[in-house]
Amino acid sequence: MNNRIANYVVAYEATERGRDAIELGVALARLTGAELRLCIVFPTPTAVPADEMAGGADFESLLVDQAELWLAEAASFVPADLISTTHTIWADSTFEGLIDAATEFLSSRIIVGAGRGGILNRYTIGSVANSLLHASPVPVGLAPHGFRAEGPISRITCAVGTGLGWPELLESTTVLMEGLTVDLRFVTLVEIDTVWDPSGLAAQITAGEAHLAEVHSYFTSVSDAAVPVTTAVAIGATFEAATESLDWQELEIVVVGSSRLASPGKVFIGATASRMLDSLPVPLIIVPVEGLI
Amino acid sequence: MTTAPAAAASDSDSDFDGPNPTTGITKKGLSAGSIGLIGATVVGISCIAPAYTLTAAIGPTADAVGTQIPGIFLVGFIPMLLVALGYRELNNSMPDSGTSFTWATRAFGPWVGWMGGWGLIVATVVVLSNLAGVAVDFFYLMLSQVFQTPAIADLAFNVPINILTCLAFMAGACYIAYRGMSATKSVQYVLVAFQLIVLVWFSIAALAHVANGTAFDALAFDANWFNPFAVPDFSAFAAGVSLSIFIFWGWDVTLTMNEETMNPKKTPGRAATLTVGVIFALYLLITVAILMYSGTGGGEFGLGNADIQGNVFAAIAGPIMGPFAILMSLAVLSSSASSLQSTFVGPARTMLAMGQYQAFPKRFGSISPRFKSPGYATVVAAVVAWGFYAVMRTLSTDVLTDTILTLGMMICFYYGVTAFACVWYFRAQAFSSLRAFLFKFLSPLVGGVILTVIFATTIIDSMSPDYGSGSNIGGLGLVFILGMVLLLGGVVLMLLMYRANPAFFRNQTLKTGSSLDDA
Repeated sequence: MNNRIANYVVAYEATERGRDAIELGVALARLTGAELRLCIVFPTPTAVPADEMAGGADFESLLVDQAELWLAEAASFVPADLISTTHTIWADSTFEGLIDAATEFLSSRIIVGAGRGGILNRYTIGSVANSLLHASPVPVGLAPHGFRAEGPISRITCAVGTGLGWPELLESTTVLMEGLTVDLRFVTLVEIDTVWDPSGLAAQITAGEAHLAEVHSYFTSVSDAAVPVTTAVAIGATFEAATESLDWQELEIVVVGSSRLASPGKVFIGATASRMLDSLPVPLIIVPVEGLI
Repeated sequence: MTTAPAAAASDSDSDFDGPNPTTGITKKGLSAGSIGLIGATVVGISCIAPAYTLTAAIGPTADAVGTQIPGIFLVGFIPMLLVALGYRELNNSMPDSGTSFTWATRAFGPWVGWMGGWGLIVATVVVLSNLAGVAVDFFYLMLSQVFQTPAIADLAFNVPINILTCLAFMAGACYIAYRGMSATKSVQYVLVAFQLIVLVWFSIAALAHVANGTAFDALAFDANWFNPFAVPDFSAFAAGVSLSIFIFWGWDVTLTMNEETMNPKKTPGRAATLTVGVIFALYLLITVAILMYSGTGGGEFGLGNADIQGNVFAAIAGPIMGPFAILMSLAVLSSSASSLQSTFVGPARTMLAMGQYQAFPKRFGSISPRFKSPGYATVVAAVVAWGFYAVMRTLSTDVLTDTILTLGMMICFYYGVTAFACVWYFRAQAFSSLRAFLFKFLSPLVGGVILTVIFATTIIDSMSPDYGSGSNIGGLGLVFILGMVLLLGGVVLMLLMYRANPAFFRNQTLKTGSSLDDA
C-alpha cells in the first residue's frame, strides 16, 4: 500500500467548475506527488421510455465521442510534469460515478469544483459537491469558483473545533504533512456577539488560545515535520465573519474534519464547517471520520 | 471504460491496484440482463401510453370509421408490425442516435435522409403539442373534480389561459428532459399499473351502465364491429389505419431492446407479443364498452360529437365513473405528463445527430456539459412544439382532433421512408436467406407500400374542407394545409441548410451505401 503512488479523482465537466476542480487537483498533486484521474460521469441509460423512445438508438456513442473531446481538453489543462489519466464513467448519478471511480482506483481524494458563480469567488455548493460532502468515503477537496493553481501551495490551515474529534483530524494532518515543507496553521473559530456580550469575549479568546496551544503541543508530539506552525483564534459575530477576519494567502488550503454525525469512514460536513464555506476564499479538504487525508 | 487516446499517453505506467481498471464501472449502456419479460412489457406499454392515446384517438377514429373501430385497430397494427420488423434490422445493423434520418441517408442519400429526419422531428413535435393539450384539459378537469367546481374545467376553453398552461407544462417537461432526468423503474411500474386498472374499471363501469339501461345511447354489441372491411369506403379505411398507427406508436421499442434483457434471444420477442396482447385486449375492451355506452351519434356524450372527439375520456368519464372519474383524470394526466417528458428525447436526439452530421446548424449538435443531454435541441423542440400548439389553438377550435390526424400523416411519412430505406439498404442480402427475405425485404416493403398508400390517400382526402374537425382555410381542409406546411417547410429549410453548409448534402459527413459496404 505504501509503495503505491496516490491518486486523486478529479470530477470533470466541461465548464468553469470542472476547470476549477482540475486546478485544485494540479495544486494538490504538486504538493504530494499524486497522480490525477480526470473523470467525466455520464448517466447510465435506463430502461424507461425517456431512453427507449429513441428506438434503442446509439445516443451513447455520441456521448462517448463528446467525452473524448472534453477529456482531451481536460488533460490539456494539466501541466506536462504531472501524471494524469482520463476516464469516462457511466453511473446512475454523477455522485455515484465518482464514488465508484474512487473505489475502483483506490483514490485517496475526490476533487470537485464547488459551484458556479457565487459572490466574490466563494462557494455556492452544487448538488454533486453537496452529496459528496455528506457521504463520500474518501476525503473531498472543494475548489472555490475561479480557483487557479498559479504556484505551489504556501500554507495549510487546519481548522480545529473543541469537540472530541480533533485528535483524529490531527492524525490525518500529521500524515499529510509528512515530508512537506509548507507552513501549517491551526485555527479555531469563535462565534460571539461582541455588542451584547463584550465580557464573554475575553474568556472565549482565552479558551480558544488554550485549546490551540494544546493542539499545537499535541501535534509537535506526534509529528516530526519541521515546518513553521502558527495558530490563530478567529472571532466574529458569526462563523462566516470569523472566517473572513482571518488572513488568507492566495494558495492556501483548509483542512477540516467531519461532523460527529458521520458514519464511520464517511465524510459528513458539520454545521460550523458548512458555514465557514460560505465565506471561505480558498480550497477546502474535508476528511472522513476515522479516515486519513 | 474509454480512455481518451490523446490524453492517456501517460496512463501505461501508472499503478492501479485494481485487477483491471477497464472493467466494472464504465459499461456503456444498460447493464446487460437487467430487464425481464415483465419489465420489457412495462416499458412497451408505458411508451404506448394507452390512457393518453385512447382519449386522443378514439374520437377521430370513430369519426372516420363509425362503429368499425375495433376492426380498424386490429388491422392498423399490421403496417406498424411490418415496419417495426425492418426498423429492428436497421437498428441492429446501424445503431445510431439519428435513427430514421441516418438510415434513410445511408440508403437514399442526403436529401431523402434529411426529409426522413424532418418527418420524425415534425411528428414528435406535433405529438408533444397534442400531449400538452390533453394534459391541460385534464389538469383543469381534475382541479374541478377536486374542488367540485365545474367552472374550473371551463378554464381549459379559455384560449389565453390554455396556451399559458400549456407553456408551463411544456417548460416543466423540457426542464426535466434537459436535466437528463427520467422516471425510475418503480415509478414506471406504478404508472402503468394505475393506467391499466383505471381503464379496465372505466370499461366495466360503462358496460354496467349498459346492462342497467342507464347508458347514454346504448348500442347492441355486434360482432361485425371487428370486421375492418365493413368500413364504408377506402378513404375512411385509410384515415382509420393512419390513426391506428398512432395508437400503436411506441410499441416498436420492445423489439429494439436487446442486450439489456435477461434473454436477448427470447425476451424482446415475447415482450413485444405480450405488450401487443395486453394492448389489444385493452383497446378492444374499451372501444367496445364506449361504443355500447355512447353510440356513434352526435349527442352530448356520443362519439360523433365533434366537441368531445379530441379528448373523449374528459367528456364521458364523469357520467360513466361518477365520482371516481377523478381517477381517470389522474391516469390520463400522469400518462400524458410522463409521455410529454419522454417524447422530448426522440426529436432532441435526432436533431443532435443531424447537428453532428452538419445536416442542421452546428448548435443542434451540442451536448450540455453539465447534464450530458442534447441541451440546445431539447429547448428548440419545446419552443417549436409550444409555438405550434399556440398557433393551432388559436386557429382551430378542435385543435386536438386535427393535430392527431396530421400526426398520423407524418408518422406514415417517416415510417414509410424508414421502411423503404430498410429494403434498399439490405437489397444485396434480400434473397440470401429466408429470414433476411422476410425481415429485411418483404415485411418492410409491404409495410412501406401500405403506408405510402395511406399517406397519399390521406393527403388527397384531407384537401376537403369537411375532413377532420371541419376547420378549413379558403376551402382547403386544415389537416391538409398543416401537412403541406410542415412538409414543404421542411423542403425550404433543407434548401436553406444546403446554402448555408452543403457538406452534408455532398455526402461528406455521412456516406450513402448499402449493407455490403459494412460487411
